This record gives sequence, structure tokens and C-alpha cells, in this order.
Amino acid sequence: MDFSQRQDQRPSINGLFGIVALLFLILILRLFYLQITTSDDYARKSENNRITQKRMKAPRGLIVDRSGRILARNRPFYTVSLVRTSRKDYETTRQAFIEETGDTITDGAYSRRYRTIRLKRDVDFRTVSIVEERLKDAWPLLDIEIEAQRHYPFRESAAHLLGYMGIIRDEDRRSATDKAYMAGDFIGKTGLEKVYENELRGLDGVRYYEVDAGGRTRQEFTERDQLAEPGRELRLTIDIDLQLAAERALPDSLAGAAVALDAQTGAILAMANKPTFDPNIFVSFQAQKERQKVLQSETTLLNRAIRGRYPPGSTLKMIGAIAAVETGITDTLSTFAACVGSLQVGDVVFRCNNRSGHGELNLIEAIETSCNTYFHHLAQLMGIEIWREYAEKFGLGRPTGLVFEPGEYEGLLPSRQYYQERDGWTLGHLLNLIIGQGAMLATPIQMARYTAAIANGGNLVTPHLSGLSPSRQRIDGISESTLDIIRKAMHQVVYGPQGTGWRLAIDDIEVAGKSGTAQVPNRENNSNDAWFVAFAPYINPEIAVAVVVEGGGGGGSTAAPVAREIIEAFHTKRVHSEKLESRVDSTASYSLSQR
Amino acid sequence: MKLIREIDYLLLAATIATVALGIIAIYSAAYHSDSQVVQIAWVKQARFAVIALLGSLVVMHMPNKLLYGLSYPFYGIALLSLLAVLLWGTGEDAARWLHVGPLRLQPSEFAKIASIIALARYLSDCSAEHVNQARHFVGTLMLCLIPMALVVRQPDLGTAISFTAPLLPMLYWAGMRRIYVFFVLSPLLSVAFSFEPLWQGAAPYLFAIFITGSSMAVHLILGRLLFTITIFLTNLASGLVTVYLWDHFLRPYQKDRIMTFLDPESDRLGTGWNIIQSKIAIGSGGLTGKGFLEGTQTKYEFLPAAHTDFIFSVVGEELGFIGALITLSLFFFLIARALYIGSVTNNRFYSLIAVGLGSMLAFHVFVNVGMTIGVMPVTGLPLPFLSSGGSSLLANLLAIGLLMHIFAYRHEY
Repeated sequence: MDFSQRQDQRPSINGLFGIVALLFLILILRLFYLQITTSDDYARKSENNRITQKRMKAPRGLIVDRSGRILARNRPFYTVSLVRTSRKDYETTRQAFIEETGDTITDGAYSRRYRTIRLKRDVDFRTVSIVEERLKDAWPLLDIEIEAQRHYPFRESAAHLLGYMGIIRDEDRRSATDKAYMAGDFIGKTGLEKVYENELRGLDGVRYYEVDAGGRTRQEFTERDQLAEPGRELRLTIDIDLQLAAERALPDSLAGAAVALDAQTGAILAMANKPTFDPNIFVSFQAQKERQKVLQSETTLLNRAIRGRYPPGSTLKMIGAIAAVETGITDTLSTFAACVGSLQVGDVVFRCNNRSGHGELNLIEAIETSCNTYFHHLAQLMGIEIWREYAEKFGLGRPTGLVFEPGEYEGLLPSRQYYQERDGWTLGHLLNLIIGQGAMLATPIQMARYTAAIANGGNLVTPHLSGLSPSRQRIDGISESTLDIIRKAMHQVVYGPQGTGWRLAIDDIEVAGKSGTAQVPNRENNSNDAWFVAFAPYINPEIAVAVVVEGGGGGGSTAAPVAREIIEAFHTKRVHSEKLESRVDSTASYSLSQR
Repeated sequence: MKLIREIDYLLLAATIATVALGIIAIYSAAYHSDSQVVQIAWVKQARFAVIALLGSLVVMHMPNKLLYGLSYPFYGIALLSLLAVLLWGTGEDAARWLHVGPLRLQPSEFAKIASIIALARYLSDCSAEHVNQARHFVGTLMLCLIPMALVVRQPDLGTAISFTAPLLPMLYWAGMRRIYVFFVLSPLLSVAFSFEPLWQGAAPYLFAIFITGSSMAVHLILGRLLFTITIFLTNLASGLVTVYLWDHFLRPYQKDRIMTFLDPESDRLGTGWNIIQSKIAIGSGGLTGKGFLEGTQTKYEFLPAAHTDFIFSVVGEELGFIGALITLSLFFFLIARALYIGSVTNNRFYSLIAVGLGSMLAFHVFVNVGMTIGVMPVTGLPLPFLSSGGSSLLANLLAIGLLMHIFAYRHEY
């Protein structure tokens, strides 16, 4: 055998040609029959081809506060849409719609890409009845769709927390793994609406049915329907009463934030921001102007509670105090040279907050009066490494672990190296850091968590907004007796004769706290940020609070009242619910005895 | 260079035109899709087309006679790759693909060509008289049946059957007597005539007329009693087995498939859906079509697998009868050109390959287009050059390269 076999006795190729030609003739005749002879039938069938699937949007899960009060719900609205249209149909139908309703502005432009075009969303009843009664017979493609719009009944309250929704961008829709979204759908853009998007949105259902050319449903295929699965309800740890109290108390004229944590578990009870916005404008079809204003403002959307970075001022002094007691640098009885209103270290003069001096103070008195000089003495004995170690133990300089969108900032806990890389290290830097100044930056939620750790006996909690509390982390190397001293000092801040936080005092409940008045480098009007951290009750603390008011001046005068309002709201509720519980108990025993 | 002058420009031009038409049709079919992967299918197809066209030029320039020696090794590699698909293959409803590095290949597409080359080698090694011997027929049959059996296991019935498509044309071209060709073909006709649902009560009569008529005709032509009896019994057996299989062996869902093909309206939302929607798409296209990107059947996704198996329906809907005729004309030209190359090539091995490739192409076009207009059952065979799919395009363009190679050497023995 070899390659060069000849194809000599050729059979006729015509036979094969013939067969191929015959096959093609069959195809062409059939095509002629379909496309020419009976084309009109198929054109009609194509026109009537309305066995169609319609998506049944799953209702989005509610967001409720810890006692079930609704923070986000769904409000139905009507939309006029054009179902399965072509460009020509779109133009003529749109013209008819405009003529009948007098409404010249329509939302959805024609696009070959979309099957259903939403001509006008969120129309009033007048328009619905015009479409149903006058237009639908002549223009069968018109359809009234009931859509659901997110509604936030508390409006500006908790806006940064809940986040807002917006129409999904095309690229997000296409990259969604499971075709879950259609053009024009709303999706959580920020906040909890975004974090829990997948849980809240539920699972859309599908309905199969056939409609005739008149738009009437002719046949339903209910056995094929897939019911929509509603989204899961999201229950928050937030208490809306505390949230409202915090928002009322924060001054309207200044920017600021307040965070209230369950001191034991880290559950966030309130997270307030000023300025705030109304998330309803992001889902409204009428509020474009307001929306633009909020989006263009640089600071309105900022969630200061977790993304605001501030020098914490004197509220940070407890770190230095704890480090000093734990390392034996000082105790509650020892004192330094009397404070005369300033202290010279090397060539630099460090001023105390009281220009005329506090005199001779022990640790507790130093915290009570917020004496800077005392802490400057401590700093010189301590060194940055020890101070920083204790600041780290309380979670400063790193994220708290809160799951949120957009995520929290980690602040800044400078190290010796940090300064070496910039303008060089001097002891003066630590003198600033220990009183919460210098390069030190913290977020309100970090400060609330640090306060909670002091209050609960040295456990670092993970702030969270829903679900089970993540396990808290015991801080090593801090004894209960040290924290007792610190708590006592914070108690003195409120109740001591020279305490800076006396405005925190509330009837019926013992509280403790620490003020802070932080200088902000490079601020135009040289105003100070007002800080206050607090916990309550003094014995067995339940709530920890951190408040910051930008440019608020003195922490004791501006921020302390905010903390007080929050703790007072907390206390009032606590007393109220205890009464309620005892009443429930008595009714229960009553009904038992009836049996 | 000799080969530049010997390029079959007509074949090349028609091929490029067909591939271009396919890319345009894929663009339209996928335009409205929600899936980004589908939307850019035309880009992928275009990229594959360029690579495959370059590949086909390489094939064209391979040394003469090289393929002859490689024919059985290629066949062996093809069988191994099909075996590999069975072991490690992936796919949604059938394991058809093999992952080779970043590539996802469908080995069955290449195995089709390899088996044509192996058949050509086998047939060219025996002379025209020897082809008529039964043992050589069995030999060629085995060459088809082994890959077919492997593909059936995937399971991919349509592709499996396509392995047998070039068998009869190649046997005929190698010198088998027409009467024997008819002998091989007749059991298939018996199956068709004995199949009750096709003829609604007339089947027994048709079947009886066919087997007696054909046996008598064969006897008149050949005059060999033994052969006549053999053909009679073979046909009788195939008819009876058909009836038996239908009544006792086929599962209800398999029967449904066949019944739906015969009467799509019986299951409008299920298996019949594809055929109904495809017929509506093509029929409503009319003479001139609904216009590019304006096919409502495609746009509203009534048409399933629009950019792959039912790509012809998109052409029919948007470009109408005229577009469909142009498409079919291109295919007819490609097939006729392959057969023509076969008829003018002096070398027996090459000549047989050309005829095999031509008939394979004809089979695919008829089965796929026939499916979209309801004259063939739904099988999932792609339309060569048009359906979106890298392996199919690559294999078909390599086949074109092979035809150009054969054309260049048509005068040599």
C-alpha cells in the first residue's frame, strides 16, 4: 500500500451532486412554504406570541429596630409600562399617552435592549385611570405595573445606618451572578441596605401566562408558576428611641456623631450623624433636585460615626492612666510636682488646660480635672512603646470589626517609627499623644468600644448591628483593680468638685464619663472638637457612649449634654420596661390563678 | 511560490463570506441577552475565526503526502480524546468538553475529520473491486462505529450519527456498486416505512410494498437469489425490530421526543417549544425579514439557543427568505466545491477525503437547517461556520484548509 493510489475508475460525481441538490431543494421548498406561502400565519403567530413569563418581584425584607418598630418598609406605587414593544409602537403609544394625560415628561427612553420599557414610574391615580379606561383598548401594549418603593418612615433618622437604595447600574446588573435584577430595579447602594442586599431582596418568582392581542390574559399556567420568596426581615440592635434622642441632642448647626453600645455585648444601640439626609429622596421619582444636592455635598453622606477621623483629646487620657498604674509608674496616692499651668520639657513649653494651674494632684484628681501637666509627667516616665501597647489593647488604630458599607476607617495610632519616617521623633510627640493630640486619630465607634471595655471590666467587644453578638475578647494584662480606679476617676469627672463633666449628671442613675476638647490642626477658625465618652450605670455598666461635635468647643459643655440625653433615654426605657415586665408577670400569674 | 497560485480563491472567499455572515447573525442573536458572556459571543467567534483561518492556511501548506502517514495516528488520537471526554469531560446536560489548559475543546468536532481521513486511508488502500467485498465494508463500518459509540456515551446522539454520514458517499466514491449502496441504505428506509406514527395507519402496507418491491427490483438487476433473499430478510427484520422497539423498548420520554417532532403542538411549552418558536421566527420573517436586530422572536427570547443551534432561525427571521436563500447558496457552493475538488483530484486518498468532507458538511447543513424548519428532529448539531462555538468553527475551517491543500495538489498522483 502506498500513497500514490490513483482514483482511476471514477464513478460519476453527478450522483452525489444530485443527492445534495435534492436535499437543498427540500429545504428551499420548505422555506418557501414557511416564509412566502404561509408567512402571514406565522407573522400573526409571532404577533400573538404572548405566552410570556412575568417576574413577580419578591417583597423586600423590612428593617426593624430591636423592639420591632419599622425603620424601612415597602410602599406600593404604580408604573405605566410598555410591554414588549418596538420603536414604532413606542413612539406612537408614548405620543398617545402624552396627549391623554398632558404629562409631557416620560422616564424610559426606547432601547432595543429592554423588553419592557417603563414609560412613567410612580404615577398618580388619575393617570392610572386614564390608562386603564381610555388608553388601554387602543394601545394594548400599555400596562399598569404595581411596583414597590422603599420607604423610611423615620426619614432623616438613622439615614447613614440604613443607607439608601438606587436604580441598579447596567454593569452591576450584568455582573450579578444569578440574573436576579432587571433594568430599572432598585438595589441597596450603601449602609445596611447594601450589606444585607442578598438577604433583604428575597427570591423573585415567575408567572407564566398567555395574553391575546388585546392585552387580556387568555390562559394562565399556574402549575408552572414559581412563587416569590419574600426577603428576610432584618432586626437591628438599634433602639430607635435612643437613636432619636441622640439625633435631637446633637446640635443641628454643627457636624457631629454619637455612638451608643451595649457595654457588655457591643450591640450598637444608636449611631447618629449630623448633618443627615432623607433616604426617601433616593428612591423617589420626584426628588431629583434634593438628591443632587445631597450627592454633591461632600459631607452630608459621610458616616462620621465610623468614618470620621478625629483627634480624641482628653477622652484618651485613660489609656495613659491605665498604662501607668499597670506598669507601676504611679498609684492613686502618688503625686507629681504641682501643676502651674504649663510644663517645660526641653525647649518646649507644654500648656495645661487650666492656665493658672491645678496644683498638686493624684491620678484620680488628674482625670477629674483633666490636668494635662500630670499626664505630661507620666509620659516622660513611660515612653511611647508602653503607652502604645495599652492603646492597642483597647483597639485603637485598627478597625473595630463592624460589618458595614462603606466600611469604617481605622484611625491612626502613631508609633515611634511613624514619626521617624516624617520629621523625626522627640519625646514631645508622646506628650501630645497621651492627651489625645498630635497625629492621633480615632473614630467615634472606636472611642465607644474603648469606653465599653473600661466599663465592662476589660473586654473588647465587636460592634454589630444585628444577629448574635460576636464573642468578646478579654484584654490581657489589665487587672480589675486598675479599671476600678479608672472608673472611679470617670465617676469623679461627673460628680467631683472640680469635675469637667458635671453636665452629664442624671437623676436616679449614677454615670461616669470623660470630656475631651481636641485642638484640630489646620482648621480655619481654630475651633476645637468637643468630645465626651460615658458609661452607665456606674455599677454594672450597660451602655457606653461616645459623642463628638465638630467645632463644638468644650467637651464638657457641648458633648456631655448629648451623652446625657442618650443615657437618659436609655434609663427611662429601662425603668419603663421593668415596670412593663412586672405587669406582664402579674397578668400571667392572674391568668394562671383563673385556671 | 507555487501554492499561492494554487489557492482555491473561490472556496476561500465563500468560506470567509459564510463565517462573516455567522458573526453578524451571532451578534444579532446575542444582542438582547442578559448575559454578558453571551453578548460578546460574536467577539469570541471572530477571534476564533481569525485564528482558525490562519490555521487552515498552515494546513494547506503542509507537505504533500504527509497526511497519508498520519491518518491512522490522527484517528488514534481522536479516539483517545473521545475517551478522555468520557472520563474527564464537562458540560451541562452531556459531557462534551475537555479542558486543555485555558482552552475548552469539543473533541468530537475534530474526531469527525479524523475519521473521514482514516476512512479515506482505508478505502484508498483497497482497489475499487475490493471495496465490494463484505469484509472491507465491515472494516469501514468499524472505523465509523467506534468513535460513534464513544460519542453516544456522552450522550450526544446527533453528533454520533454524523460519524456515519460520509460512509456511503465515500464507499460509492471508492467504487462500491450502486446496488450494494442501496443494500446498505435499504434497512434505514425499512425503518422509516414501518414506523407507524409517521404514516398513520398506512405503515404496514407501505412497508410490505417497499420490501417486496425493493427485493424484486434487486433480483431483476442482479439475478442472484441469495442476495435477493438476504436483502429481503434484512429489511423484514429491521421493520419488525422497529415495531418491537417502539412498543416495548423505548421509554415514554424517548417516545415523547419523537412524537413531539412529528406533532410539535402536542407539547407547546415543553419539547415542542423549540420547534414551534423556530418555525414562527422563520415563517414570520417573510420575504425580506424583520430587519437586523429587530427579530421579535429572538429579542423576546422565544427562540431558544438563538446564537448556537438555532442561528439559522435568526437569519430567517431578520433577513427573510432572501437571507435564507443566500445562506443556503453559500453552503451549496461550499459542498459542491468540495465534491468538485474530489472529482478533479487524481490521488485516490485525497479525492476520497474531499468527498467525505463535502458529504459531512451537507449532512450538517441539512440536519440543522431541517431542524429549524421542522423537517428534521431536534438533535443539537451545530450549523457549520454559523453557530457560535470555537471547536466547531476551528474544525470546519481546518477542513477547508485541507480542501485547499488537496486542490493545490489535485494534479499529482
